[in-house]
Amino acid sequence: MMARRATLIGGVLLAAACVERVSAPGNCPSFCPSGQIQIVDTVLTSIISHDSSFRGYVTALHAPLLLAAGLPGFVDGRAIFRVNGYGQRYLLAAADTGTILGADSARLQLTLARRDTGAHNLSVAFYRLPITIDSTTTFADLAGPFTDSLVRRINIDTLLARPGRKDTITGDSAVVDTLNHVVVLHLKFDTAAARYVGTDSGTVAYGIRVSADSLASIAIAKSTLAWQWYLRVDSAGTPVARKPSPLGYAFASFVFDPPLPPTDSTLAVGGVPSARSILRVAFPRFIRDSSQIIRGTLALVPVAPVQGAPSDSFVIEAHTVFTDVGAKSPIIVDATRTDTAVIHAGMSDTVQIEVTNLLQFWASDTTRATTLVLRAKEEATSFSQIRFYPSAAQAFRPALQITFVRRFPFGQP
Amino acid sequence: MTADRRTGGRAVATAVLAAVFLTASPPDRLTAQDSQFGIRGLGTPGRWESVRSRSTGGAFAPFDPLSPFSEAALADVPQLTVTAMGSASYRDAEVSGTPSALRATRFPLLNVVGRVHRRLAIAAGYTTYLDRTWDVTLRDSTLLRGTLERYTDEVTSDGSIADLRLAAASRVTRRIALGAGLHLLSGSTRETAERRFDDTTFHTVQQRAEVRYSGVGLSGSLLLGVAPGLSVTGWVRADRRLRATVADTTSADTDLPRMAGGGMLFSPSPSVRFGGSVAWRGWARAGAGAFDTWSWSAGAEIGAGHMPLRFGVRGGQLPFGPGPTAPTELAAAAGTGRAFAQGRALLDVGVERLERRGGGLTERVWTALVGITVRP
Repeated sequence: MMARRATLIGGVLLAAACVERVSAPGNCPSFCPSGQIQIVDTVLTSIISHDSSFRGYVTALHAPLLLAAGLPGFVDGRAIFRVNGYGQRYLLAAADTGTILGADSARLQLTLARRDTGAHNLSVAFYRLPITIDSTTTFADLAGPFTDSLVRRINIDTLLARPGRKDTITGDSAVVDTLNHVVVLHLKFDTAAARYVGTDSGTVAYGIRVSADSLASIAIAKSTLAWQWYLRVDSAGTPVARKPSPLGYAFASFVFDPPLPPTDSTLAVGGVPSARSILRVAFPRFIRDSSQIIRGTLALVPVAPVQGAPSDSFVIEAHTVFTDVGAKSPIIVDATRTDTAVIHAGMSDTVQIEVTNLLQFWASDTTRATTLVLRAKEEATSFSQIRFYPSAAQAFRPALQITFVRRFPFGQP
Repeated sequence: MTADRRTGGRAVATAVLAAVFLTASPPDRLTAQDSQFGIRGLGTPGRWESVRSRSTGGAFAPFDPLSPFSEAALADVPQLTVTAMGSASYRDAEVSGTPSALRATRFPLLNVVGRVHRRLAIAAGYTTYLDRTWDVTLRDSTLLRGTLERYTDEVTSDGSIADLRLAAASRVTRRIALGAGLHLLSGSTRETAERRFDDTTFHTVQQRAEVRYSGVGLSGSLLLGVAPGLSVTGWVRADRRLRATVADTTSADTDLPRMAGGGMLFSPSPSVRFGGSVAWRGWARAGAGAFDTWSWSAGAEIGAGHMPLRFGVRGGQLPFGPGPTAPTELAAAAGTGRAFAQGRALLDVGVERLERRGGGLTERVWTALVGITVRP
């Protein structure tokens, strides 16, 4: 009995003692391993070649934002949209329709996804446009309507400064969403500004110009654009008011002048239609095979300062591709294998994009094409673009700075 | 008859308990007490001693058949015996005024001895040859891309090199016993090297490898009964090279030491025993920063009953350390044992206080020892 108890106690004590704490501050070199973590930092200037740029990936029509800008010397951009109507008759009851006599008014919901807070007297002006506008409509085609068809002008700064951000006279109001950093405008169009023409099936089209003392540039979210009619409908000889459900846009795009110059030997990224640049990297085997990359930075020298308002800053993404087939190379869209850099308007310094994730990806899978694609994170959402010197420009060619660690000498005393 | 059955049951239970201790623990725990002095060298040499011998400062080890030290001592083993030990060490390492409290649990010994012939006894088992478990953290900075980047390094090694011994011994005459052993050195360490920069733009450096070790050695020993109650012994051992391989590629080939030693055991009465031993190990062959070492020990065991008292001291040098001279160590140990199940199961306990010094580092260690011996 005693033996069992003693054995049990010994076992419990031994088990309880099974705790490890072996970590101690190193006092090097005396009490440290002889091997050291050896870091090498090198700038590789000649491993990027066969670079080129292509434009046309995302056009204004397919952009998620409508751009409007009045930036003299850079761009005059105007948003345009069309809303289809209900036709000439309106469904009053299950088996009863009435002729739409006209509209008392309409209300437009507009979300400003981006505006320059440094802009003063920011105003948006609405012009009535031909309802025939479509994706082939150009800036020049709309020069007339944008000159003589002004229907409304709203000073956004004034509206935001009003109590409750409501204008009781015009019927306009605004909501500032500080969480999403957007301003939602609810703008009233009176019967003259919002004409419901039955022969046009109630279709209306408008163009938006923006102006300010300076930095007049806004982006409007397409997805939340909504048009609310307040109609007068003939019900057995009696006009009745009807508020149908809001309508979304049937067509929304933007036109601008001047258009971006065609791509040349420089590496363009951004703009509308969006441009991408493709860079082929001769990834050194001695780094790929026998080291661990801890930082990789792609250095690109801009040809000229980036134009645009500060709010037009955009993010450049560096992706790698599934396979390199030139302009249509399918990019790998994976957050863990994408590196980014912010491009600010006015920037002329060397742009550095951390491409550590991509280099590590290439090192882990040597079958991958070592091709980089540079594109704007949200393509065609900013008039601004950046152009970099290509590899052909010896003095300013793209370079890759890689910091890597050699293999630790494990097993050596 | 019932008592015998109960006694046998207890012995079996004790054996099972010992087996559970040894098999339930991961292999990296099968190591000896580690030391900061072993980080820069091959490791910290293990002590090839059972709890009983360790409690006497190691003085009885050359005469202890359960210590995988001197094979000649096996010659007088009466029956099949299994022993295993565990230890828990609490270590304070202080260098440049910076103390670190460290703790480790080890299972450094398993030995099975038995008689296969009237004149021949054999033993098989393992003990720790070199312990390579450590974890070093370092705070420093380096100039990278024109900026001083601060970082924290952590380099770790977890594992050991075991000495798998197959030994045989025979009493040639009434006074002389001879023994020889074959030693297979085998083990592995999981090693990592990590660097974390304060600036997270630099990704964390993380490298790891499993290093495998292999080697072989031979040993021989002689036990001589000089007079009634007085025995002397001498032993030699030669180990060849220790090969370290990483992913099937040899990363290091290091010469291992040749060793020799001797001891004396004096028993003026059946209940009193005094012992002393001395050993030389030629570790300088292992390369730069390694030293030949001398070590000595003296101890006694008083009482032949169920709970003898053991004590001893030992001193000597450590084979690896910074500077021109070998670090030194001095230890005192004490312990006792208790027989159960009519002597078929033995529980030995001991405690050791150790101090190591050298190169500005001082280590002070308390080690608790528990040994289980079963004679089925």
